[in-house]
Amino acid sequence: MSDNPTAERARSGAPGWWLVFTRELKELWIGGRALNLLILYSILMGATSFLIATNAELELIPPREVAYLMLWPSIAFALFIGLIIGADSISGERERGTLEALLLTPTSRRQIVIGKFLAAASPWPAALTISLVLVRVLSQGDEVFVKAVFWGSLIGSVLALAFIGLGMLVSFWSNSNRTSLFVSLLCYFGFLLPTQFPGEAQAGSIGQLIKKVNPMEAGKEYLARVIVNNGTPDELWVWALAPLTFLVVALGVLFFYAGPGLRLEGGRSRPNLANWSRAGGVSAIAGLLVAGLVTILAVSPVAARGGDRAPESELPIAITIDKDFASVKTGDNVKFTTEVAYSGNEESPRMVVAMNIIDIEGEVVDPEDWSPQRTQVVEPLPAGETATQSWVVNAIQEGDFMVYMVAVPEPDSEEATSQPVSTSGIHLTVDPFYRLSPGGVLPFAIGIPIALIATAFLLRWLRRRGLDTGAA
Amino acid sequence: MAIVGSEATVATTVSVSQSTVLSATDLQKSYDGRPALRGLSFTLEAGRVLGFLGPNGAGKTTAIRILTTIIEADSGHFEVAGVSSRYPEQIRRRIGVLPESQGYPGQVTGLEYLAYYARHYGWSTSEAKEYSLALLQEVGMQKRANSLIGTYSRGMRQRLGIARALVNNPVVAFLDEPTLGLDPKGQQELLEMVRRIARERNAGVILCSHLLSEIEGVCDDVVILSWGQVAAKGSMTEVAGQAQRNGVRIHVPSPSADQAQRILEAIPDVKVTGNGAAPGRLQVEFVNGARPNTREDDGLYNGILEALIGAKIPILGFEGQGSRLQDVFLRLTQEEIQ
Repeated sequence: MSDNPTAERARSGAPGWWLVFTRELKELWIGGRALNLLILYSILMGATSFLIATNAELELIPPREVAYLMLWPSIAFALFIGLIIGADSISGERERGTLEALLLTPTSRRQIVIGKFLAAASPWPAALTISLVLVRVLSQGDEVFVKAVFWGSLIGSVLALAFIGLGMLVSFWSNSNRTSLFVSLLCYFGFLLPTQFPGEAQAGSIGQLIKKVNPMEAGKEYLARVIVNNGTPDELWVWALAPLTFLVVALGVLFFYAGPGLRLEGGRSRPNLANWSRAGGVSAIAGLLVAGLVTILAVSPVAARGGDRAPESELPIAITIDKDFASVKTGDNVKFTTEVAYSGNEESPRMVVAMNIIDIEGEVVDPEDWSPQRTQVVEPLPAGETATQSWVVNAIQEGDFMVYMVAVPEPDSEEATSQPVSTSGIHLTVDPFYRLSPGGVLPFAIGIPIALIATAFLLRWLRRRGLDTGAA
Repeated sequence: MAIVGSEATVATTVSVSQSTVLSATDLQKSYDGRPALRGLSFTLEAGRVLGFLGPNGAGKTTAIRILTTIIEADSGHFEVAGVSSRYPEQIRRRIGVLPESQGYPGQVTGLEYLAYYARHYGWSTSEAKEYSLALLQEVGMQKRANSLIGTYSRGMRQRLGIARALVNNPVVAFLDEPTLGLDPKGQQELLEMVRRIARERNAGVILCSHLLSEIEGVCDDVVILSWGQVAAKGSMTEVAGQAQRNGVRIHVPSPSADQAQRILEAIPDVKVTGNGAAPGRLQVEFVNGARPNTREDDGLYNGILEALIGAKIPILGFEGQGSRLQDVFLRLTQEEIQ
């Protein structure tokens, strides 16, 4: 028998996943695939930012809405990039004939998958940075930027990692890149499709449930509510469930079921008894997570309906507001709170608090443009209890306005009515404001792609330096 | 003899000597109920080159993939340097493989490529680089170490592939069609390299090839697979010796062909069955049971040669028919088909 020092060698070098990760990273970035996709991304996002900036000036869209309008498409397109890179990671190697050499190394299959996953995730922080630079410019110094950074990074990362995992799973089971990319695209559009449903379909209870179950739609809704409507995690947790479940299921299946069975052909190795039990375990956990998600979402507070209370025609309900007047400029927002107090002896009926805005000059006001959240539900209050609601009004039009809030108790029956209770008004004076210049975003919209293209050339030049490029 | 064992379809006891680096016992594999490998058993000893032969679909690739832990056998087991096939990661530390359809990343240099794989076996970055340079020198690629693989010729890539197969100093190297697509000079150089690997590294080498002349020229031992089972195995001499030498091909100048035919037909037990298929080419068959199976029985060959020389007919070519590996291969695989 020949000596084989390598076989006996202790594993003193880097771990296998790290080796795979660094090699994949080089191939993605120096090979140019990731950089090319990012250049395309920056061009598209630059164009989007310019359009949003122009639109914001024409339609007086407030900064927080502009920030969201920029943030979500950036995340959605970054998810697409992650999916494509994930979809190429395994089937691409199969097709190029380089997977077998990797499988012949002593590095475990799972470590190979982990290394590839981490490398596939590397373009996400770069895409996020590009998008946050544009959000920063468009938000014009508004405090919403901090929120956009935090929640955009958090929700975006959850979704991005889950989509990369999904892409890799598709790639894992595909023999050719064409199949892998096609199936991944189908998945992506499958997630996008519900957003194209008619408004009424989305507003119904089934529509709401689909919205909450679809991780992409739920993530989008979470960001919209937290950034534009000042929602809090306590109120919005239900929208974070689908993205988190998607992440756990996708990565769980990838690392614990599929990964260890990575093989030369599409699919995983024929499971032996131990693998079957592991597969059963993973499937059971994934199934429980999904079933739990659907159940929680189906019975969540937003979908819940109030009880069958019988309100009095004159209920001891009072509603107060914490602001009397506000003087702002177009594009600013006004935050205030209302407090509904119930002084009856029994539990109150369910109530709806609604926002009303009128122009003191008598011009028509479309409240839809002023605040995306104009009603809030107050669940039945115990005797002597109060409930507080937070509100935001975006000053989108100059003039003199009155904002007042009305609490409407739920009527007892179809034939019954109830007595709404109103607050005093907030006298809102809105002065014109020089808004975001579309030109302000141009240097960034053009500069970022140029900087990336320059980086690509620089990397290529650095790579070529010192290489013998003579033809064979 | 380096290869031992009984008939393939029967569960086999394989005798393992001190120098045995690979022993396979009764390996079986089916795909969707269709048997691809039906009881492969053989051993390979250190420092020897074993030719793995078989027509398309004979089970060669399946056998190699099982032995290199890419796929699992349905039953049977094998050992590499005493390590059981139940420990595939340990097996992979001890083998080197050049797969048939090996792809290469075009955007890395040969040196980077090798160093990357060396690091998978625990070498540090500097050690891996140093060792990879030595390997590139061994396969004659040191001048192109810093060139991108995308600029390599087919032959260079095959050399690089062999270097990668040696990166862990394997006890067994599997080389699947290493000369595919190479020009004759490239083929010759590569086969020399294969011999050198076995001799200087004292490694067992399994060489898969469709080119029988290649196997004949470089291998010590041979296994012929047909329809998933072993049709023949043993040392090259033993397997080639299984052929029935039943004729001879003679090449003479065209004007002398007819005269040569008359002379040959005058010799007892000899019949000329082909003349004129190509100018000056004569096909001679032994009849009446004459079968010179061993070197000692080659008097019939001498008789033919003496008769032609005596008639002053120039002999441009003389080749015993049925005495080559190709004849054994064709006969055995044909029998299996029938």
